[in-house]
Amino acid sequence: MTAPALSGPRARRVGYWGLGWLGAAAAAAIWQLVSALMHSSIFPTFTSAAAKSWDLLDGPVLHQDLIPSILRTLAGFAISAVIGIVVGMITGYYRAAREWTSAVFDFGRSLPTPLLVPVALVVFGLGGRMVVAVIVTAAVWPVLINTANATAGLEPTLVDTARVLGMRGRTFLWRLVLPAVSPQIFAGLRVAISVSLAVMVVAEILGGGSGIGYFISSAQQSFQITASWAGVVILCLLGWVFDSIFLLTERRLLAWQRGTVGGDVNG
Amino acid sequence: MADPVLSIRNLGVTLTGRDGSVTEVTANVSLDLAPGEFVSIVGPSGSGKTTLLRAASGLRAPTSGQISFAGRQLSGVAPGISVVFQEYNKSLFPWLSIGRNVAMGARRLPPAQREEHVREALHKVGLDGFASRYPWELSGGMQQRAALARALVSDPQVLMMDEPFASVDALTRGHLEDVVADLWERSSFASLLVTHDVGEAVYLSDRVLVLSARPSRVLAEITVDLPRPRTQTQTRRLARFVELEAQVLERVEEAGRVAVGLDPAAPMREGSLR
Repeated sequence: MTAPALSGPRARRVGYWGLGWLGAAAAAAIWQLVSALMHSSIFPTFTSAAAKSWDLLDGPVLHQDLIPSILRTLAGFAISAVIGIVVGMITGYYRAAREWTSAVFDFGRSLPTPLLVPVALVVFGLGGRMVVAVIVTAAVWPVLINTANATAGLEPTLVDTARVLGMRGRTFLWRLVLPAVSPQIFAGLRVAISVSLAVMVVAEILGGGSGIGYFISSAQQSFQITASWAGVVILCLLGWVFDSIFLLTERRLLAWQRGTVGGDVNG
Repeated sequence: MADPVLSIRNLGVTLTGRDGSVTEVTANVSLDLAPGEFVSIVGPSGSGKTTLLRAASGLRAPTSGQISFAGRQLSGVAPGISVVFQEYNKSLFPWLSIGRNVAMGARRLPPAQREEHVREALHKVGLDGFASRYPWELSGGMQQRAALARALVSDPQVLMMDEPFASVDALTRGHLEDVVADLWERSSFASLLVTHDVGEAVYLSDRVLVLSARPSRVLAEITVDLPRPRTQTQTRRLARFVELEAQVLERVEEAGRVAVGLDPAAPMREGSLR
């Protein structure tokens, strides 16, 4: 969190919240101003888009589209997290596993995910399961790669210590490797959550059958331009909420890390 | 001498680098550690002291030779052998409080006894009241004392230490030496200390072994006949201490000279050295 204008941890936090929101308000104001000046039917004002999104959230869109989208994103993210962490720890720790999988993983993570939608449509059909599957193919990589790299670079003294203390097998993985690499896991998870959101939208546009992505594209195709912009606003909000919840969780779970806890601990 | 608790016979360790290069680190090391004895291993840098300790603790399988601990062949880490590493900041688990770090050393004890043992161990190293602190909240010396508490909470038969005081300032170092000496005198564990500090080795030990440069073997064995309990101010001033320290230092320097080839007359690779 950086906002160098003020000094001291508390001031910095206030600065982040205060200035951050001020910046957001400025961006909205610029949107408002430009759209008002352009006076174009394809670019509604911020206030009308915001008002429309409020209407949408009050109507059937909430249950038909928004909640399914949230559930799909969370499911895709959760599956990616579990696979990424477990496979990442194993491939990171065992050199043979790492070498055997390196080429497969390199191909896998360079695959443009939307490419998989047609295939996933064939396998899972239209709808939620397809969306979740496509999310996983994209969101698993940042978690897996981060976890594997951190595990491979585990401090040797830490490993020796754990071994001398008699930690082996599952105990070793869960009580040494997992906490030791958790900062890097969290960094990967944070990327994964935004990837999950983005891929969710793309997959829904291409064949979700429902969901916020599906809503945006069908609104656009039926020339409900304001509604489709409202969908974008809702999506932004969703991304922000996910990221905020994520950061709060991280702050709690990684409180043992110096720096993450800010300057509050000794006070 | 009573049956040794730890016995190393003709130990050899050869390391293979990632590029396939082979280094013979330890050529032929034998040593016995009696129950309750304090032995130090000194040697020029790069003489494989750490490798020797890793093999002796079961962390690394030797390439040749035997290690037996408590009368049985050592095959991997063993309950009863505790190790304190040089880098306390990398050895304590940063995500656990000091108390829970120490409790990791008590994992083999019945759950009901753990809490009591942890409290006692922290008390012994003078860290009462620090159980809920995190490692980074403590100074280096305190962190190393916490690592000591964790090593001793399981009541080991052998405590191995790899340059345990090398990362702290001189004053703290003297204090930590006394903490170890005091713990050792009040308990029954034997101690195997690897250090490059000759004075420290003499100050703490019953015997000092000098390793040759790599591939290492035992170059000299010096028995330290200083009275106990020892104190920094008194013991280090004794003529006998100074004499022993010089004696050990001489052998270490001799080993170092051979290593860099300044003494071509010294028979390093062939023949017996003792």
